[in-house]
Amino acid sequence: MSSPLENVSHACFGLSYLVAFACEAARLRWPSRPLRLTGLGWGTAGLLAHSAFLLVQHPTPASPEGSLLGVAWVLAVFSLYGSVHHARQAWAVFVLPVVLGLVGLSFAETPVAGEPAFAAPPWLPGERGWGSLHGLLLLLAAVGVSVGFLASVMYLVQAGRLKAKRSPLGGLAMLSLERLEAMNRRAVNVAFPLLSVGLFLGVVLLRHGEDLAENLFTVKVLGTLGLWAVFGVLLYLRYAANVSGRRLALGTIVAFALFLLVLASTHPFAVGAGGRPL
Amino acid sequence: MNLRMVGCNFRTAPVEWREKLAFDAAGHAKAVTEVAARFGCEVLLLSTCNRVEFLVAGSVPGGSPPFDAGLAAEFLAEVHGVPAASVAPLLYEHTQAAAVRHLFRVVASLDSLIVGEGQIAGQVKQAFEASQGLGVSGPLLNALLPFALRTAKRVRTETGITRGHVSVSSVAVDYVRQVFDTFADKTVLIIGAGKMGRLTLKHLQELKPRRILVTNRSPARAVEVAALCGGVAVPWDELDDALVKADIVVSTTGAGEPIVTAKRYVAKVAPRRTGTQVILDIAVPRDFDPAIHDGDRVCLFNIDDLTRVREQTLAGRRKQVAPAEAIVEHEVKKFTEDWTRRRHGPVIGKLTAEVDKLRAEVTAQLLPRLNGKLTDEDRKTIEGAFRLFQNKLLHGPIAALQEAGREGQSGTLLESLKKLFRLE
Repeated sequence: MSSPLENVSHACFGLSYLVAFACEAARLRWPSRPLRLTGLGWGTAGLLAHSAFLLVQHPTPASPEGSLLGVAWVLAVFSLYGSVHHARQAWAVFVLPVVLGLVGLSFAETPVAGEPAFAAPPWLPGERGWGSLHGLLLLLAAVGVSVGFLASVMYLVQAGRLKAKRSPLGGLAMLSLERLEAMNRRAVNVAFPLLSVGLFLGVVLLRHGEDLAENLFTVKVLGTLGLWAVFGVLLYLRYAANVSGRRLALGTIVAFALFLLVLASTHPFAVGAGGRPL
Repeated sequence: MNLRMVGCNFRTAPVEWREKLAFDAAGHAKAVTEVAARFGCEVLLLSTCNRVEFLVAGSVPGGSPPFDAGLAAEFLAEVHGVPAASVAPLLYEHTQAAAVRHLFRVVASLDSLIVGEGQIAGQVKQAFEASQGLGVSGPLLNALLPFALRTAKRVRTETGITRGHVSVSSVAVDYVRQVFDTFADKTVLIIGAGKMGRLTLKHLQELKPRRILVTNRSPARAVEVAALCGGVAVPWDELDDALVKADIVVSTTGAGEPIVTAKRYVAKVAPRRTGTQVILDIAVPRDFDPAIHDGDRVCLFNIDDLTRVREQTLAGRRKQVAPAEAIVEHEVKKFTEDWTRRRHGPVIGKLTAEVDKLRAEVTAQLLPRLNGKLTDEDRKTIEGAFRLFQNKLLHGPIAALQEAGREGQSGTLLESLKKLFRLE
C-alpha cells in the first residue's frame, strides 16, 4: 500500500509557496495580522510538503532536479525564519520568488515517465564519503550564493529608494544598507571557501570518470569554475579595490545567474536520463 | 452619568496663557485634591503644553458636577494669580456623552496640535494614575479612563494615524536608520551650529554614536557646541579630513554658497572613504552640492527632502482622521451604553421584581375566587395575560430610560422612576 506522502508533488509545495507569496505581497498593500499568519501558514505547509517530497522521492543532488530542490528547500527555511524574526520587513517577498523559480526549474528538469532516473555511477559507492562531502560543500556554497543574491537584490532596491529619496517609512519595510551589505559580505565570505574545497574535491573525484577530459569540459564543471572565479573577483573588489556596495551587489547577481546555470546542468557523474554530459 | 470636562487648549488659549495656566507636578497634586475636596467630586487634571483640562465626575447620576467653566475660571485665577475675567473666555466645557467624546478624541490624539502625536495617551495615563494615587478617582473615572486608553490603542493600531515622524529632525533620523543598523562604531560630524542642527543632533545622540566631531568657522563656537554635546571640536580648515572620518554629517551653517561642492567632495573626500555616508544638509541655502547624492555611497538629504517626507506623513495621518473618528464614536456609544446598563441594571431589576410581586399578589387573590370555574388552560391564559400586561406596562419606562442613558441624560428619569414605583 502506498503512503499518502508519495503523492506529494512539485505542485503541492509550489502552490503553497505561491499562496504564501501572494499573502506577503498583499500585506505590503494592506498590512494585517491575519494576512501575515495566513502567509506563514501556507509557507509552513509548503515547507512540510517540500520536506516530505525530498524524503520520499529522494532525488539525487547529482541531478539538476535534486540540486535545485535542495537549494530551494534551504531558502524556504530561510524565508520562514526571516518572516518570523523580521516580521516587519518585506522578507518573504524577496525570498519566495527565488524559491518558486528554483521549484519551477526543478519541475522542468524532472525526468519524464518511462525515462530512467539519474543514478550514481557504479564506482561511486566506494567513494560515497568523499562524494557526499563534495555534494554537501557545494550545497552549502549554493545556499551562500543564494543568500548573497537575495541580500544584493534587497540592497539594490533599498539603494534605489534612497536615491529617489522616498519616504523612509513608506512602501516596503527593509533592512538597512549596512545590514544588507554585511549579509552579502558574510554570504560570499562563507560560500567562497566552501565552493573552493567542494570544487577541489570534485576535480579530484573526476579522475574516476571514464573520460577525464570529457567530464571536465561539461557546463556543470566549467560553470562551477567560472562561479569560483567570479567569487574570487568579488572578494578582490571588496577587500582590495574598495568597490561600492551597488557594484558588488550587481557582481553577486551575476554570480547567482551563473550558479543557476550550474544547478540546471547535468552532473558529469550522473548517468541515466540526460545523464550524458551537456 | 454625571461628568463634565472643562478647560482650555491650543485652539482657545494662546501659548502665553497656556504657560500661565499650566501646573507643575506639585501644583498638579494640590489642584486635584483641592477641587475634589471643595466640590466633592472625582477629579482628573490633564496639564500639558497644549492643554489644561479638568475632568470631573459627580456622585449623583444624571446630574452635572458643580465644577463648571465659571468655577474653573475662578479656581485657575486663584491658583495662578491671574484675573478670572481673563481666564473665563479661554475655557470650554463638555458634559455627559460630549465629555466622554472629547476625552476619547484627546486620548486618541485627534484633538492634538499635530494629529497622531504619540505623547498624549501617556500623559492622560499619568494624570489618571496621579488621581488614583491621590484617591480622587471613583467609579466613573475608574471605568472611563481605561476605556479611553483602550480606545486610543484601537485607533493607533487600526488606523496607523501615529505612523511616521512629523518633525524634520526625526525624519532625518529615520533616513539615517535606512542606511545604518548599528551606531556604536559611527562618527557624527556637526558643521555649523544652527538650531535645527542641534535638534537633529539631540535625536542622533539617542542612537549613541561612537564620537561626535564639531566644526565651525568660529573655533570658539565649535568648542561651545562640542562641550554641549560631549563632542570634539575640529578646526574649520580640517573640514575635508573630518568629512572623511564621518559616517553621518549634519550641516547647518549660514553660508551663502555651498561649502562642499561636488568637485571638492569627489576630489578630496570620496577617494579616502570606505562605506556609506549620510549627509543631512539642513542649511538654507544648502551647504552641500546635491550632485554628491547617489543613494549608495553618499546619501544626501536636504531640508526640502525632509520637509517633503514630513508633509507626506501629515497627509497620511489626515487621511486616517475619518476612520479614527468613527472608532471614537463607536467607543463613546459603547461606553455610555455600558455605563448606563451598569447604572440602570439594578433599578430595572428592582422595578421588574416589584411589578412581578404585585402581579403575583393580584393573581393570587383573583384565582381562588374563580376556583372551580376554571380549567388549567384558563388559569394559564389569565396568568399569561397579566404577564403580557406587565411587560407592556414596563416597556415604555425601561425603553425611555435606555434612550436617555444613551444620551447621558437619564439621571432625572431614573430618580422619577424610583419615586413613582417606590423603589428606594
